[in-house]
Amino acid sequence: MRIFRRGTAIIAVSALAGVALAACGAGNNSGDDAGSGIIVGTTDKVVSIDPAGSYDNGSSTVQTQVFQYLLNFPAGSTDLTPDAASACDFDTPTTYVCTMKPGLTFANGHELTASDVAFSFNRVVAINDPNGPASLLGAMKSVEATDDSTVTFTLNAPNDQTFPQILVTSAGPIVDEESFPADAVLDDAAAVEAGGFSGPYTIGKYEKNQVAEFTANPDYDGTYGKPTTKTVTMKYYAKAENLKLDIKNKEIDVAFRSLTPTDIADLEKTDGLTVNTGAGGELRYITFNLETMPGDDKDQKLAIRKAIASSVDRADLSTQVYKDTFTPAYSMVPDGQAGATEAFKEAYGDAPDADAAKKFLDDAGVATPVNVKLQYNPDHYGSSSDQEYNAVKRQLEATGLFTIDLQSTEWVTYSEEYNADAYPVFQLGWFPDFPDADNYLSPFLSPYDKEKSGNFTNSHYNDLDTEFADPEMTALLDSERTDGDKASREATLKQIQDRIADQVPYLPLLTGSQVAVGVDGVKGLDETLDASFKFRFTSLSK
Amino acid sequence: MTTADVLAPLDPPSTPPPARRRGGVPPLARYLLVRLALLIPMMWVLVTMVFILMRVIGDPIQAALGGRLTAEQIAQRKADAGLDRPILTQYWEYLSGLFRGDFGTTLTDNRKVSDILVVNGAATLELAFWSLLVAFAVGVPLGRIAARYRDRLPDILLRLFSILVYAAPVFFVGLLLKLAFTPFGWPSSGRASIATELTLQDVHPHTNIMIVDAILWGDPALIGDVLKHAMLPAIALGLLTGGVFLRLVRVNLLQTLRMDYVTAARARGVSERRVMNKHAFRNALVPVVTVMGMQVALLLGGAILTETTFEWKGLGYQLSEYLIKRDFLAVQGIVTLIALIVGAMSFLIDVIIAFVDPRVRF
Repeated sequence: MRIFRRGTAIIAVSALAGVALAACGAGNNSGDDAGSGIIVGTTDKVVSIDPAGSYDNGSSTVQTQVFQYLLNFPAGSTDLTPDAASACDFDTPTTYVCTMKPGLTFANGHELTASDVAFSFNRVVAINDPNGPASLLGAMKSVEATDDSTVTFTLNAPNDQTFPQILVTSAGPIVDEESFPADAVLDDAAAVEAGGFSGPYTIGKYEKNQVAEFTANPDYDGTYGKPTTKTVTMKYYAKAENLKLDIKNKEIDVAFRSLTPTDIADLEKTDGLTVNTGAGGELRYITFNLETMPGDDKDQKLAIRKAIASSVDRADLSTQVYKDTFTPAYSMVPDGQAGATEAFKEAYGDAPDADAAKKFLDDAGVATPVNVKLQYNPDHYGSSSDQEYNAVKRQLEATGLFTIDLQSTEWVTYSEEYNADAYPVFQLGWFPDFPDADNYLSPFLSPYDKEKSGNFTNSHYNDLDTEFADPEMTALLDSERTDGDKASREATLKQIQDRIADQVPYLPLLTGSQVAVGVDGVKGLDETLDASFKFRFTSLSK
Repeated sequence: MTTADVLAPLDPPSTPPPARRRGGVPPLARYLLVRLALLIPMMWVLVTMVFILMRVIGDPIQAALGGRLTAEQIAQRKADAGLDRPILTQYWEYLSGLFRGDFGTTLTDNRKVSDILVVNGAATLELAFWSLLVAFAVGVPLGRIAARYRDRLPDILLRLFSILVYAAPVFFVGLLLKLAFTPFGWPSSGRASIATELTLQDVHPHTNIMIVDAILWGDPALIGDVLKHAMLPAIALGLLTGGVFLRLVRVNLLQTLRMDYVTAARARGVSERRVMNKHAFRNALVPVVTVMGMQVALLLGGAILTETTFEWKGLGYQLSEYLIKRDFLAVQGIVTLIALIVGAMSFLIDVIIAFVDPRVRF
């Protein structure tokens, strides 16, 4: 008994000592030493601060804060505005010229000139890192600094209206040529050490994918304006549930990317928090492999696609599965983008119409129920894909016209197999490179040719060697890409969207909203959640 | 009269027989050299298995860029990254790099694998340390109590406790602890608060072991903050091992208490406390030391779940991240290091055992 009491006493004293020591830190809550700074939590990961080595959301968020671009989007707008450049325009149909602002410097004191700009773009192409954005510069033939303040881009295609948008993408950050190597990606620690940043913030302390402290750059002269918050700290989370827990407990000030729809719904009911939403660019859609999908001939396949388009209930997916964090998409170009229409709503309505679906099938002589193998991926597009596609299955089978064989495959295998024509009908998603309608059209509709890069979906739509070639679509795309007149371009975009709705090579389902949860008192979140998809720390204050 | 006096004429203690040297090598040295030599083929087999398996399940370029680029573009990027070279060429390059201490650079986020091993390895080491502390603090004294009160209520309750903590999945225990303690202001995740993390980046030398860095910084508030953050993950992972220790100490103590020399000691009137502490307990700990080495492997494996649950970004967490991304260079490096640690721990245990129990040398 004495041993029992003694052992218990030892354990008890040890526990008390531990708690007492721990309690010494009780006042040391996160953010205390950050003063009036803001703490932003995210589950995104940084691949590389160096623009030549990254093409992902996590890296782009960091780059948005610390680098300048030639042009940029001010908060709340998708109108391109000079950032490091004072002006940019087409000089000839194939040359695009930018004039630099005078007196720009990097945080390390080096001058920012046209030479740095040319260097920045050339190194992206030269390094061609597997994780990098070199593929975004396919429209650029060459770039050079014609003098200290002038950068000249030579383009492959004349009057390419999408090129200015490319300057704001992951390929566009301007780096210090004295700090970044021309032939290799600079690792994060070295990039932070070098201080080659001219954006609104510089990076003070940095532990990759753990924590990053951003400090306002007093010399910044660009689109975003002077930062209102001196210090912003980014905390990186492994799991969304921990991000949710910390924002719920007000351990952090902002939670941005990515909370689940259920978490967001729960946080909406939490006192002291505000859920801010903004225009989303993410698109969820179904792809039809025109060669392997059910149907004996081209007409039957089209009828089946139209019947499916008439049968899905987007509102149900939006509300029941995604708790309104995704909204119905009636076009491949999401609502909010210039030139977007609701072509699928006009063609098929906004609610399921089994009678219309049946008529499509009967007119084409398609026997029902149609057996459709539908493939989705449970991890790459979020954990709700499972619910989403089970709901799609239920919707289609509720018409009595379809029998859906629903299968799922994990991402790496999935992305290889759909490219090998293994899936007749399958899920894909898209996040735009820049906020322009063309970025939702050209990648999907351009002529598909094995000799050159074209359609990454492997739908075989507009395959030049097959009956699915669509020269009219090709002509429309070429027209909108090079049309400098806004009204006429939008008219062409409308034609393209109508044609997609008529041909249904893809079935747009949902558009994701941007969501950021902020502690009450944090301002500016609604301002920065705009259709440019740039999360600007300069907008935030508390 | 001591135990040794009683036993000397009747039962020679574990006095080793006269050493028989083979080829002039002392038995202990031979034993240790054999143990050390066995590490090399073990490491080679493990590295090779990981190399092959990772290439079977896909590559990082497909994982990252599938769904954005065409198959041809992806193939081009794979070629640019050298992933289309003959497998034996890649294998030989990798092994050569390992011999030079070059673990390579990750394919998916451009980090030196050696940096990951240092930075994230320190986090896992710290978690393993705290967990072992909890395991010892819980398992050893409770095991003693259970043995002392064999088949009585304390023993029954403690055995039940050990089964419960051993059987409960570590992430489940972790979640329970979070739910129970975070409403009271206990931190739910991370190795330290953000302010502490940022402050400790200025410590020189920077060990990446939070408690060491906090001590070097010298601020009790920071030390307290680090300890507070370590408590829940240490308990979650430590209880698992503590349950094992509890059972082990109990069983070994009971066996030791049945030995003749213990009976003799009791017969001589030695107090029960002295029998337990001086004669039985120390001998009962010997197998525990052996198992402790094996538990390090368990801790590293269980650490993946604990690290992810508590945002404790150690090797286990990084390993799971790189596995999902199919970054085989990173996975190979981390698995190699874990294998090295487990091998080294096993070797160390063998050394300790050889010194404590000379019989194993022969």
